Amino acid sequence: MALVGRSWLLLVGFILFYVIYLLFGALIFSTIERPMEDKLRHDMEVLKKEFLNQSCVSAASLENFLFKVLAANKYGVFLIRNASATSNWDLASSMFFANTLVTTVGYGQSTPLSDTGKAFSIFYALLGVPFTMLVLTACVQRLLYPLVLAPVSLLQRSGLEPRPATAVHFVLLLFLVVLCFFVVPAAIFTKLEESWSFLDGVYFCFISLCTIGLGDFVPGMQPEQKYRTLYLGAVMVYLFLGLMMMYLLLRTFHKMSDVHGLTTMLQLPRCEDSDPDEDREPIVDHGESPQRQTEKGASNHLEPGSQVSYNTINRG
Amino acid sequence: PRLSFSTKPMTLTPPEESEVVATVMKWKTVTAIFLLVVLYLVMGAAVFRSLEQPHESEQRLAILSQKLQFLSRHSCVNQSQLEELVKQVVSAIRSGVNPAGTMTNNSSLWDLSSAFFFAGTVITTIGFGNISPHTEGGRIFCIVYALLGIPLFGFLLAGVGDQLGTIFGKGIDKVEKMFISQTKIWVISTLLFVLFGCLLFVALPAAIFKHIEGWSALESLYFVVITLTTIGFGDFVAGGSDIEYMDYYKPVVWFWILVGLAYFAAILSMIGDWLKVISKRTKEEVGEIRAHAAEWTANVSAEFKETRRRVSIEIHDKFQRAASIKRKLSSELGFSPAPEVTLPKRVVSVNFNNERDKNEKEAGLHGLTPSAINGALVLNGPDLERGEISIIEHLK
Repeated sequence: MALVGRSWLLLVGFILFYVIYLLFGALIFSTIERPMEDKLRHDMEVLKKEFLNQSCVSAASLENFLFKVLAANKYGVFLIRNASATSNWDLASSMFFANTLVTTVGYGQSTPLSDTGKAFSIFYALLGVPFTMLVLTACVQRLLYPLVLAPVSLLQRSGLEPRPATAVHFVLLLFLVVLCFFVVPAAIFTKLEESWSFLDGVYFCFISLCTIGLGDFVPGMQPEQKYRTLYLGAVMVYLFLGLMMMYLLLRTFHKMSDVHGLTTMLQLPRCEDSDPDEDREPIVDHGESPQRQTEKGASNHLEPGSQVSYNTINRG
Repeated sequence: PRLSFSTKPMTLTPPEESEVVATVMKWKTVTAIFLLVVLYLVMGAAVFRSLEQPHESEQRLAILSQKLQFLSRHSCVNQSQLEELVKQVVSAIRSGVNPAGTMTNNSSLWDLSSAFFFAGTVITTIGFGNISPHTEGGRIFCIVYALLGIPLFGFLLAGVGDQLGTIFGKGIDKVEKMFISQTKIWVISTLLFVLFGCLLFVALPAAIFKHIEGWSALESLYFVVITLTTIGFGDFVAGGSDIEYMDYYKPVVWFWILVGLAYFAAILSMIGDWLKVISKRTKEEVGEIRAHAAEWTANVSAEFKETRRRVSIEIHDKFQRAASIKRKLSSELGFSPAPEVTLPKRVVSVNFNNERDKNEKEAGLHGLTPSAINGALVLNGPDLERGEISIIEHLK
């Protein structure tokens, strides 16, 4: 009973802390962004006035026109480009779109316009998202040995205790990932995209690899992009590999906190390897999986608590 | 199950061989799944293209004609001026400032409640993108904020999911008392979970959005799915239009997102489990088929080898006899044995059931004349090493 009570308390504590965190973020964003927004607003007013002053256009017809332009713009149809510009839905771009759909990044720079497209997206996503997560999990499972377990045991054999060994390894892995998947790609993007600064590149990499995908920066959207297909293909590969590494990092971090006893202290679900299939022979010596209070196997598949964290819930 | 770091360090040598074998097998599976994903993507791309491109061209034509119309009606505006204006407007829109509309409304995109919503979209990794930070400081802060917030939200979601699961499990307990069979319970519980959850987290919110935001039914459903799978395109955002919203609208939406995400996570992992089961079953069936095929091939080749062995021995005997007969004949007739003529080889499958043929051939050898050597059955010695027998038959 006390255990149940404690878990509820912890949950409530978490929620509270989470709300506070959100409020804090809101405050900071507000103070940083608001002045810029006001300035931009002011600039727009001035621009409109100027335009209207020196021309015969009435305010109403301008509004009307702008409204239509912006509606089209929302769907990725730009007025400024030439009519012969690349479509947003040629094969490469459609594949890129499908990729952003199944990895849940979802930039949104081009979205389905037709009703059928929207309906199809729903089904495609419902099937494709778990599918992608399965693939990612499978890949990470195999990478776990050469990238995590072998180095840690190496460190251990060279004399470190298990706890510091995992910590050292995690830091090393983190450093490597940041270098290869943030710094280097950001530099490449800065070269290839005209209007991106280095910070923009890092920001883009981060927002994409966390699958947030705001969509304010999307590669390959310039009108005169050379080798566009190749470029988009490379970006897709980068996304996939990057997601894998992020998941690996998360897994490593979770295992590390297991070893350090953090997860048990906070009563969080422990880091479990997936059930050993024939195809996934346990590489590591598994102890008995902790028996949790599952209702007699009936809701085994459905118990969301059997997944570890949000990321692993989605990713199988 | 934690890594047994404390008990014994991982030794690389003993399990290496089995691991290498296991790794080889597993990589095959991974590549297979990977190819499947690529195929899935290509298929999706093709479908999207065929669905969307016509629409897009339509839109394009429409907007171009709008532009031309505008320019023709207002002759004092030239093309470059217009384009400049549009460019500025578009970039303003991207920064969240909408100049098309009355500038008198003072609601900012970065007031506290909207910023709260934005922070929420970052943490849940939905990332609509209708609002996004434009200052350098804002972007850097966004990165740091997400780094801390996403795991935090992850734990929260795990906790919420846990509670959902327990509540659901308690409901199952009550249902269990009515039925006895395990599988029935599982099936019913899954159905209940899916149905009830869909009603509560998908259908009901979609109806509410349709009513409040003015979207169509499909668009509301589309928004719900895209949001709860955390894809979050941002073409539809609850609370993002210029409508007057009630005060508690946004917080309720946010709460719905939280619980809905837990539900969807469970659904998606269920679908993932089904996919795993399907793939396992397919693998099993394929494995069975392959095992059968292997067995059959093994049997057939064993039989074939056995038969070939027998045949080669028989033919060897016959060859010996034929050779000895020829020698006798030629010595009786006083000829020196003519060189063997080897005819161009032709591998023939011999029908060993026909004993009569063999006897005939033997009989034919008896009546050999030297000139009829060409018409003789010349047998090459069986190449026992290679296990091949080339039987040359030259028809008279």
